[in-house]
Amino acid sequence: MSSLVCHLVGKRWQAPQGLAVEALRDVSLSVSSGEFVAILGPSGCGKSTLLELIAGLEPASRGEILIDGERVTGPNPKAVMVFQEHSLFPWLSVTDNVAFGLKMKGVAPDERRARVREVLRRVRLEPFAHHYPHQLSGGMKQRVAIARALVGNPEFILMDEPFAALDFQTRVLMQQFLLEVWRDFSSTILFVTHQIDEAILLSDRVVVMSAGPGRVLEEIAIDLPRPRSYTSSGFNDYRVRLTAHMEREVMRAQPEALAA
Amino acid sequence: MEAWEVGSTLGPAPGEARAAAQAAKRARVRRRVGLVAATLAPWAVLIALWELGAARGWISTSLFPPPSAFIRYAIESDFRVGFGREAMPIPVAILASAFRVVAGLALGFVAAVATGILVSMSRLGSAAVLPIVRGLAPIAPIAWIPLAIVLFGIGEKTAIFVVFTGVYFLLTLSTVAAVQSVDPRLVKTARTYGASPKQVWLWVIFPAVLPQVFTMLRINFFAAWMAVLAAEMVGLKNGLGMIIILGREVFNSNLILLGICIIGITGYLVDTGLVWVQRKLLWWSAPTQ
Repeated sequence: MSSLVCHLVGKRWQAPQGLAVEALRDVSLSVSSGEFVAILGPSGCGKSTLLELIAGLEPASRGEILIDGERVTGPNPKAVMVFQEHSLFPWLSVTDNVAFGLKMKGVAPDERRARVREVLRRVRLEPFAHHYPHQLSGGMKQRVAIARALVGNPEFILMDEPFAALDFQTRVLMQQFLLEVWRDFSSTILFVTHQIDEAILLSDRVVVMSAGPGRVLEEIAIDLPRPRSYTSSGFNDYRVRLTAHMEREVMRAQPEALAA
Repeated sequence: MEAWEVGSTLGPAPGEARAAAQAAKRARVRRRVGLVAATLAPWAVLIALWELGAARGWISTSLFPPPSAFIRYAIESDFRVGFGREAMPIPVAILASAFRVVAGLALGFVAAVATGILVSMSRLGSAAVLPIVRGLAPIAPIAWIPLAIVLFGIGEKTAIFVVFTGVYFLLTLSTVAAVQSVDPRLVKTARTYGASPKQVWLWVIFPAVLPQVFTMLRINFFAAWMAVLAAEMVGLKNGLGMIIILGREVFNSNLILLGICIIGITGYLVDTGLVWVQRKLLWWSAPTQ
């Protein structure tokens, strides 16, 4: 069993003019293996920053982040990040993009090829193995980005609004795809989004964050049977509850946003 | 569109698909022919007007001999220019100038990318080197010619040096700018997959800056081409520049216009070669023109 624990995590950004911006305050969170957790919040609530801290891309200013009891001090193969669109290396083929992490770790070429082929087969990307990113649609690109995360067998996949740039139709397909991946690979996923429906559709648990500075407001377990759809019974109750939360947050943050 | 739909059995029947493919191919060929015609037509019109003007006496043939005249001149002089033992075949002159500019560009590109990246790796390095580069970049390559002749003598090295200085400083600055504009998501992605700082430079930043710097190289090629010709005219007295200068010295307009045409065509061909290199090596960002 692997675990991820954030304990009273805070982050301040030093702005160039000498002003410090507090992005996160006292964020505590724990995720255990196999879970699908959504982090929901208005834009600017520091949810992406939280993922970067967990991925070890930025140091936390306060508190600590533990993965399997070990403190995160830098990028870590146990928790990898999937960004929004445009995170594929445009000069590498699908195969080489997926193999990137293995190559950086010095995995031998033969093993690299075998593992990449296996992952591409499992996510049905095999026919596109030799394509380049500019030849792929937005949805396909994100599928490659997810395959790239899967190939290293991470314990946690951190996703920063991965489908935000996609149109509705593609997004629905990608959400189904992600759920299949989550089931087939028994992954643990921490998924940042600002879309209430997406959070309810995908996750076991929604962590609601507030803006300026980002704090955890509430955690809501989504107790709906799977497979879910936007029209499942009970979906709307969660939607109403989370929308009320978000509305309150937006109204509360508004004066500050206008002043800024 | 989606992966699992590839190989689907639904779709047009094989016969229909073949007919559609043939129609598409015909349309492509038609478009191709139209483009080539659109490219050549203005030249044909220009040359026709020139010839007509010369034949009717609207323009002075002693100052602006038409293509028919200077091409005949080239054929009659057996595609050689100059006198006696110094006479040089035109193809040799073309190759000499083209080699100089390509060698200078290649050296300048490699050195500039290396300098730009190394300098970007440390703030101290940037502070120490960039002001010097910015001070040297505005100097016209032609201004280096006298110094280069003193340093390297009259020959290949001088020409290559002039091209090199013409592109090196600009491309170094453009590499530094390209490094700063690398998408931070690519760098973060590399780091999350365990790339060390060195690996990020080698496997992400280096390939990411190449297209932008190469585009700058292509833009600066024209300046470099002019610089090499200027060097050949003032000092080196060989290559394509010599054709022009010889034409001036013996007051032979045929030679001057022949030289101008060859310089233009050769420059165009080298630029086309650069586009080809860009398409082959930097395919993810290649221009279509």
